[in-house]
Order: sequence, then C-alpha cells, then structure tokens
Amino acid sequence: MSQIQIDILQRALNREKAARKQSEKILEDKSLQLFNATQELKEANEKLELLLEEKTSQLQGVFENINDAYLIMDLEGNALKMNDAAIELFGYDLKTERFNVVNLIYKPDANYAFKSFKELRKKGFFTDYTARIITKSKAVKWVQINASLIYDKSKQAIAAQGIIRDITETRRTSELIKEQKIELEKSNDELQEYAHIVSHDLKSPLRSINALVSWIKEDNSGKLDAASLQNFELIETTLEKMEQLISGILLYSSIGSESVKKEKTNLNMLLEDVKQILFIPEHISIKILNELPVVYGDKVKLQQLFQNLISNAIKFNDKEKGLIEIDVQEEKSFYQFSIKDNGIGIDKKYHDKIFKIFHSLNKTKESTGIGLSIVKKIVDLFKGEIWIESEPNIGTTFYFTLKK
Amino acid sequence: MANDLKVLLIEDDTIEIMKLHRVVSSLPLNYKIIEAKNGEEALDILEKKDEIPDIILLDLNMPKISGIEFLSILKENPSLKYIPTIILTTSNNQKDLLECYKIGIAGYILKPLKYEDYVSKIEKLLAYWSINELI
Repeated sequence: MSQIQIDILQRALNREKAARKQSEKILEDKSLQLFNATQELKEANEKLELLLEEKTSQLQGVFENINDAYLIMDLEGNALKMNDAAIELFGYDLKTERFNVVNLIYKPDANYAFKSFKELRKKGFFTDYTARIITKSKAVKWVQINASLIYDKSKQAIAAQGIIRDITETRRTSELIKEQKIELEKSNDELQEYAHIVSHDLKSPLRSINALVSWIKEDNSGKLDAASLQNFELIETTLEKMEQLISGILLYSSIGSESVKKEKTNLNMLLEDVKQILFIPEHISIKILNELPVVYGDKVKLQQLFQNLISNAIKFNDKEKGLIEIDVQEEKSFYQFSIKDNGIGIDKKYHDKIFKIFHSLNKTKESTGIGLSIVKKIVDLFKGEIWIESEPNIGTTFYFTLKK
Repeated sequence: MANDLKVLLIEDDTIEIMKLHRVVSSLPLNYKIIEAKNGEEALDILEKKDEIPDIILLDLNMPKISGIEFLSILKENPSLKYIPTIILTTSNNQKDLLECYKIGIAGYILKPLKYEDYVSKIEKLLAYWSINELI
C-alpha cells in the first residue's frame, strides 16, 4: 500500500471518527431531550390524574350532597345509579334490588310521562316535568324533574340523567293558601251580605216606630200638649240618629270587603264633585292651595275620604269666617295631603281616640263617630298614614298620605 | 182619565201593610190593594187569575222565597211577566239593585225612615202608574 493510499485511508478514518462523534453527540442530545420530554409527560400525567381524581370526587360530592334526588338510567329506563336522596324518595335501593322508572309512574299521569320521555329521546332533554309518582311504599308524591341524555364519544346517547325534586310539601302549602284565599273571599262576601241583612232588619223597626209615632200625632192632632209633642220629636230625632248609625256601620263594614277598583282619578275634579255634594254654608270658604295630583285608586273611596274630612271641617267650625284649606306635597313614593280648618279644634288627649269607631267627641244628631274611622280605614287601604295637628279654638289640620 | 189601580203588595211586615193602606185611604183616587204576606201567597193569587193586579209592589227581604226569587218566577211566566213590578225595599245593596234590573223591574224604591217621606214617594208612584196605559 502506498503512502498516499494510507494517507487517504487515514483521512477517511478521521472523518468517520468525527462523524461518529457528532452522531453520538446528537444521539446523546436527543436522548436527553427524550428523557426530559418523558419526564414532563409523566409530570403532566400525574397532574391530570390528580385533576381527574379531584373532579371525580367533586362530582361524587355533588352527586351525594344535592338535596334533590339524582338518578341515572339506561335508555330503557332501568335505574343505574342513584344518590341517597333518590333512595329515600323512591324507596328503592339499587344495592339490593333492580328497578325501572316505569314502576314510579302514577297511572293518571302515565300519558304525560310517556310523552315527556319521548321528548327526552328526541330533543335530548326536558325541563320542569311536574307530575305525581308512586313510591315503593305506595305513597303518591308530587315531583318536578329536569332530565337530559348522556352521550358517549361518538355522540351516541347511552343513558339519561335526571334531577328529581320532591314538591309534595310545596304544592300542599300553595294549594292550602289557594283554598284559604277562596274561603276568605267567600267569608268576606258573606260578611258583606250579612251586614246588608242586619242593616235591613235593624232599620225596619225604626221605620215602623216612625210611622206609628206620626199616626199617633196625626190622630190626636190638637189633643196633645207641648211636652208630649216635644217628646215625640225627641223620639223622631233618636230614630234618625239610630238609622244613621246603622248606615254608618254598613258603610264601614263594606270598605275593604269589595274588590278595589283601581282607576285614574283626577283629585281636582273629585274635589269639585265633593263641593257639589256637600252643603257649604255661606260663611265657609274652601281653598285649594295647590294643583292636586291624579292618583290611582277607587274613586268612590277617595271621594268618601275627602267628603268625610271636609264635612267635619264644615260641621265643627264656630268662626264667623270659616276657612278650609286643602294642600298637597309630592314626596318620592307618596303624596301628603292636608286639610286645615279654623274650627273648634281637638284637645290633644283625644288625638289618638278620634279615629276609633264610635268615638264621637260631639254627641249630636249629625255625628255618629263613624266618619273618621271610615277615613282611617280608607287611608289604610291606600297604605298611607293619617295624623292631626290641632289646638282647641284655633283649628285642626288633618294630614294623610296616599301611596303613589 | 185615571184608572182604578189594582195593586198587589207583597210584604211580610204588618206595619208596612198598614202604612200603604193609610196612604191610599188618604188619597182622592180609588185604589184596590191586594195583600200577600210572601212570594208563595202572591203566586197563589196570581195563578187564580180572577184578580190580576195592574202593578206589583215587592219587598225583597221575605221569608221562604225571597223577593228576587219571586221576581225570577214571575218573569218566566209568559202572561204574568208583563205586570210592572216595583221593588219597595230597605236594601240599597248594589248587588240586589243590579240583579233586579237584570231580571226586569219597573222601579226600585227605597223605604225611607220618615213616614212623611214614605207618603210622598207612594203618592208619586201611584199617580204615575195611574196615568199609564196598562195591559
């Protein structure tokens, strides 16, 4: 072998060596990378496993802890899994027996149940299914169910899950409330009817006495002395007073028992009406200081309210020039009205008493002690307040609020 | 020309009956008052047909069949339904008022407390029906 040849081989060998070293280096690097990657993957896997475990235990927690019953079933309705609430509600325990949800269907609701199940298969879910079920112990319960299908990776439905809420108690309560409401309305109507009948029965004898008295007077005309005539007049006044009392009680008892008609009521127009109805003597003037609002409420009752207060202000005015001032202030959620007079006033010790029924301070023919109690009842109906400021001999101001 | 009016008074209260008699006797015209203490008695009188009244004065609060029940029976009868029926009652119950007008009445008069007011109301009522042409 010539020196040249040896040299060539030597160089080739060197190249080979270098190449191999390089390859070895690459291999080393790669395996390091691989090792690192594996290491990372392992860590990630561990993390994932941890996460999965965590989620599973969370789900298990939800599954066990929700107050509502939770059930998983296959598409034929065989129960696969239930939580404790479900076991308690249905009475079946999968550990000891198998059962199908069809067993739960309460016969009269069967059509609705099958319809809802079809809907579940078709749409994948149903919500607020409300019907009765029959438990293992043959108890009938009202339930509300929300259900959805469970799919596998290939989006094929494999099972269904549902949350079942026992609403038996809620339903019973709401039905009880409904019943009681109807009963209350009925008894209110009866009371109203009763008030009318009693008022009729009480008024009839008064009418008879009045007729009889007037006949005695007529038939003995000229024969009766002044004292007797005066006594007859007293009988008639007493009868009138009695009749007003009966009418007042009837009115008082009818407020609140009728259904409240809410209508837009312009109080300016209403006050004009009130002024027309009331007899206003010449020496009394009524001033409305501000434009009155339009309120929502039963017009008849609002009229009664203003009429009673204004007629009181007229009735109990002893001044030469009587002045009644009506004013209003608008507040955020209500209107505050005031009716001010310069009449006889009310002593402070009576301020609380005047709104109670039959607490007339002035025992005259016109005052029955019912007017202000009616006023109070109407203000209550409007969720308002009423109070007075008054000084004897100077005058009285009635304040009341009406909720907007 | 005023007719002699035949009035059927359906009323259970003795003094109320006396009141109508007294008013009528004080009036210059002739009226005939037929009395019925309750709805059944009134129906008996009406069924006999020998004394069909020109008008009926009807109280609402009565024992046995009530005024409104009587009114319904009357208005279902093909021949009797034409008799003008005026309610004479204490009840200003809106429900009764509405019910009566619904079934069909010729008037609704509240019995006043005072006898003199009663006289005035009855005088006007009888005068009005006296000048009416009746079947």
